Amino acid sequence: SKPLSTKAAIHSKPVKMKLFIATTLLSAAAAFSPARTNTPIRSVTSLDASKCGNFDFDVIIVGCGVGGHGAALHSRAQDLTTAVFSGQDVGGTCVNRGCVPSKALLAASGRVREMRDSAHLSEFGIEVEGEVKYDREGVAGHAKQLANRVKGNLEGSLVALGVDIVDGRGVLTGTAHEVKDENSGKIYTAKDIILAPGSIPFVPPGVSVDEKTVYTSDGALELNSVPEWVAIVGSGYIGLEFSDVYTALGSEVTFIEALPNIMPTFDREIAKLAERLLIRERPIDYRTGVFASEVTPGIPGEKPVTIKMIDANTKEHVETLEVDACMIATGRVPNTQNMGLEESGIETVRGFIAVDEKMRVLTKHEDGEVVPNVWCIGDANGKMMLAHAASAQGISAIENIVGREHAVNHDAIPAACFTHPEIAMVGPTEEQAIERAEKEGWTLGKSTGSFRANSKALAELEGNGMAKVLYNKDTGKVVAVHIIGIHAADLIQECSNAVAAGTTVQELSMMVHTHPTLCEVLDEAFKGAVGMSAH
Amino acid sequence: MKFIAGISSTTALLCLVSWQGAVQNNAVSAFVAPKVPTNTLTHLFPSNNDITNAMRLETALNAEAIKITMPALSSTMKEGRVVSWLKSEGDAIEAGEAIMVVESDKADMDVEAFEDGFLAKIITDEGETAEVGAVVALIAAEEADIEAVAAGGDAAPAPAAEEAAPAPAAEAPAAAAAPDFDFSQLDMPALSSTMKEGKVVSWLKGEGDAVEAGEAIMVVESDKADMDVEAFEDGFIAAIITDEGESAAVGTPVALIAANEADIPALKAYAATLGGAPAAAAPAAAAPAAAAPKAAAPKAAAAPKAASAGGRVVASPLAKKMAEEMGVDLSTVAGSGPGGRITAGDVTKAASGGAPAKKAAAAPTKPKWQPAEGVVAATPTARALAKKAKLDLASIEGTGEFGRVTADDVKIATGEMKPKSKVAAPGAPAPVELPDGLVPFTGMQRAVSNNMVATLDCPVFRASREIEMDAFNALYQQVKPKGVTVSALLAKAVAKAIEKHPIVNSSFRPEGTFFNKDINIAMAVAIDGGLITPVLKYANERDVLELGENWKELVGKAKSGTLSPDEYNSGTFTISNMGMFGVAQFDAILPAGQGGILAVAGTQEHIVPCKQSVLGLKKISKMTVTLTCDHRQIYGADAALFLKTLNEVMMNPSQLL
Repeated sequence: SKPLSTKAAIHSKPVKMKLFIATTLLSAAAAFSPARTNTPIRSVTSLDASKCGNFDFDVIIVGCGVGGHGAALHSRAQDLTTAVFSGQDVGGTCVNRGCVPSKALLAASGRVREMRDSAHLSEFGIEVEGEVKYDREGVAGHAKQLANRVKGNLEGSLVALGVDIVDGRGVLTGTAHEVKDENSGKIYTAKDIILAPGSIPFVPPGVSVDEKTVYTSDGALELNSVPEWVAIVGSGYIGLEFSDVYTALGSEVTFIEALPNIMPTFDREIAKLAERLLIRERPIDYRTGVFASEVTPGIPGEKPVTIKMIDANTKEHVETLEVDACMIATGRVPNTQNMGLEESGIETVRGFIAVDEKMRVLTKHEDGEVVPNVWCIGDANGKMMLAHAASAQGISAIENIVGREHAVNHDAIPAACFTHPEIAMVGPTEEQAIERAEKEGWTLGKSTGSFRANSKALAELEGNGMAKVLYNKDTGKVVAVHIIGIHAADLIQECSNAVAAGTTVQELSMMVHTHPTLCEVLDEAFKGAVGMSAH
Repeated sequence: MKFIAGISSTTALLCLVSWQGAVQNNAVSAFVAPKVPTNTLTHLFPSNNDITNAMRLETALNAEAIKITMPALSSTMKEGRVVSWLKSEGDAIEAGEAIMVVESDKADMDVEAFEDGFLAKIITDEGETAEVGAVVALIAAEEADIEAVAAGGDAAPAPAAEEAAPAPAAEAPAAAAAPDFDFSQLDMPALSSTMKEGKVVSWLKGEGDAVEAGEAIMVVESDKADMDVEAFEDGFIAAIITDEGESAAVGTPVALIAANEADIPALKAYAATLGGAPAAAAPAAAAPAAAAPKAAAPKAAAAPKAASAGGRVVASPLAKKMAEEMGVDLSTVAGSGPGGRITAGDVTKAASGGAPAKKAAAAPTKPKWQPAEGVVAATPTARALAKKAKLDLASIEGTGEFGRVTADDVKIATGEMKPKSKVAAPGAPAPVELPDGLVPFTGMQRAVSNNMVATLDCPVFRASREIEMDAFNALYQQVKPKGVTVSALLAKAVAKAIEKHPIVNSSFRPEGTFFNKDINIAMAVAIDGGLITPVLKYANERDVLELGENWKELVGKAKSGTLSPDEYNSGTFTISNMGMFGVAQFDAILPAGQGGILAVAGTQEHIVPCKQSVLGLKKISKMTVTLTCDHRQIYGADAALFLKTLNEVMMNPSQLL
């Protein structure tokens, strides 16, 4: 039941945010049953014709982001000959222009914020003499170096496992089993083809992007300037993380959000607390219910960026802003144009490729038929635009290719927003859970844990935050967990595992949590769910 | 009429009074301006027109009754035990007098009355426990009313009174001024037992904002700490009475909360009638300027503002002097200082024909950007600050990118920040920035101020003596590597001397001399923005190393504001040491409740005759100490002998180890 309902929910939304997540393959493992094979990895190169029958490879993967990489690794683990079309972008968005470099910016700017917060430091008995300074180029350099390093590691692991890397972009030819290298025109064949082309930032109509004064996350990550005032269009994960970076470095921020609420994709209760911790206490203001209908780039020192805003409903002009920079963080769209989908009879909706729960490509979204031996994973299928979700889907696709039926449980995939403090979640929001419980006829339970009552959080003088556990009162199973607070992103895994394994709050309440750690915030919530007190 | 007092949340204690339906105007105003309460002592107002059973308490209390409720002595305190009643039923009580001792989760504390009256009824007996906010005793205003009040107390203790609250609104007569709808009043909570008033550090919610129970709505600075104060009812902030940075006495209203959003305007109007509250007078005066037509060009808008000063010219002394020299008519100059005051810079600007000197210098590098029509050239923070200060952004000169008004620009306009000093000539020292004008006391500074005034009733005398320091210094150099500090050694030496002269460790009581068995040495510590006296308890009995470690910990806590009351108010004798600053001699003010304070000055070297030495002279180190004593129980001879003993201890310091 889960994959179908998830699919419907995702596709009904205009644009789904790409989540910036520092990911490891391990984090995706929660969505899987334990590995059922343990085939030793061959140390030969992949061009073993006898093994592949009439094809050059068992599997060709188009795209080498975290999803393609995950699929390639698992493909080799199953002893399949494998080629990856990298399009000269090994690592893809996450590693080069997303989760990874943004973590570097957040780490650096977070330290600046901490060291400039003299009130907070003095509570520790620490005093910083003089001004805390940073070098913008140094901070940007850290992000660049990190991306290069992770990219190198990723490429290294592919080579070491005997995956063939084709530099060009791969496109379908219209003939089954064929992928063409767009650069050389050379055609490669494989029994199965996995499409993992990823996504690109969405730029709304009326917005001119020069990537200098008006930019998407691609340009923002280069940190070409720290503007006095920057407008961020969109208040999802990307916008929120960048507001954290910018305000820490001394900028002021104005959010422009088209929906009636700020942070519309978050659980409302969490969003409310986030607004207090991440927006209200910072030099940030926002407009909601308005579109940035016209964004004109500026010239630094000569002319500001002009943003005209219209009411989301009446479409009437409401305000014009003149700012130093404007970041467009309005979500991401699939990178599926001109890759031979039409020729292969595959229809897309706003670029999204339809897949079934096994990641098999369908000819169209409504009642589509399975396109044999073609699979699609990651942002391009729009199921869950997260790096680790893509990787999980890649592993799942390979499982299905080798004949072991598998479907990813997207409800058990965690997500995180790396602001200070962090926000993390697994499963539906409370609003969605209420709806789901009503529709499916079960009783929703809710229990919360508080950071203010946690010794470790208090030792860190970071008592702000909460963890909310939503569970099925009839079965005790955990449905969703939402956390905002210090190290939330590291705390969510326990909950994700619980959702994946169907662990009940009764079981969780009896599991021992290390003292004194932040995990006890969850312990409090689990125990609270069964009427126990944690302290 | 509903009354709730001393409701505690996890972070703070709130006093809130809410009205249902109409109430009599006199009751409202009487409640709004109570005397400065130290505790959650509050009135219960009589109702003359309710005859329902539920309201029996009020009817019985036609005589004016005052409830004493269990105060919240710490933010985590949920209930308190009455250790002892210092007054009995029927006793007269004076404001400021300690009437009971309460044991909280942190310490035992005296609880003071804040109004004169007579203790009519003790509800919570000694040894019994009451929840925070529960009524523990009733006070009658007049001796004749004791019986009536006591009878009322029997009939309905606190919980019953609360249950009685939802009295039918319709039965009450229409009130003159109080609004005819549900609203509640947010009072300045007592965040500590010694807190008399609190400063609103920041409002987390603005007027018109919805608040939910449990949501933090303001941050209050008490004499001890900043605390979040949470709302415990849903509603809307209708009017903020005490603005950020302003102080309000404990128990006085700081905001009004409407139950329904629609009632905000009416409640806001009502708030304006609640005179006497320390409302923001200055910003209000600036309001007419903000109301001026906004269409005027940004710089031109400054001109009419000068005229609006109403004939009275407010200018800094330097501005006046410069205006005279330059022949500038001050009445034509727009003031950019606090409250529209004319600064020297404004005069210079006016003299040079309005062209700001700064602009001229910046002109070649930064071409002037003309914002498009309708654009507010101000950063988000600047906007918020200007809105709060009720300043028109157009009247503020922007120094940001594209001439944008920044947060600093607004702060300069409001006087909160000094304009950045002009770049000094090469080689010349940077100009010294001197503070100017009134800086409101912090909670701690006010506490110090009050404590100092409280010492005026005590007759004191002072005695000074030189103490020979060579042996002490030698010993110190010897034990310094072990981590022994001068403070610890000094405390121990004084404590040892006190052992022989316990009278200097005594406290005055009207009945006689109260000898303190423990020798608890308080030592004054100057901390940023205040003064506090952490206490080394049992200083005579403890090892100097241990005292040194304890002292280090106490100083750390003092700096972070985390000393518990017991750690700073349990002293029996105080030392104030300014020796490290080279002070030759000084005397200290005797803290209330203690018998003596020793002012320790710096060590100085002297050449004195010495027959044994070759030249007939020798060098010795001496420091001057001055003892201030309460002469009501301590006499000059006591002080002299104590100082003599202290000198002996200091000359033979090995006994300190």
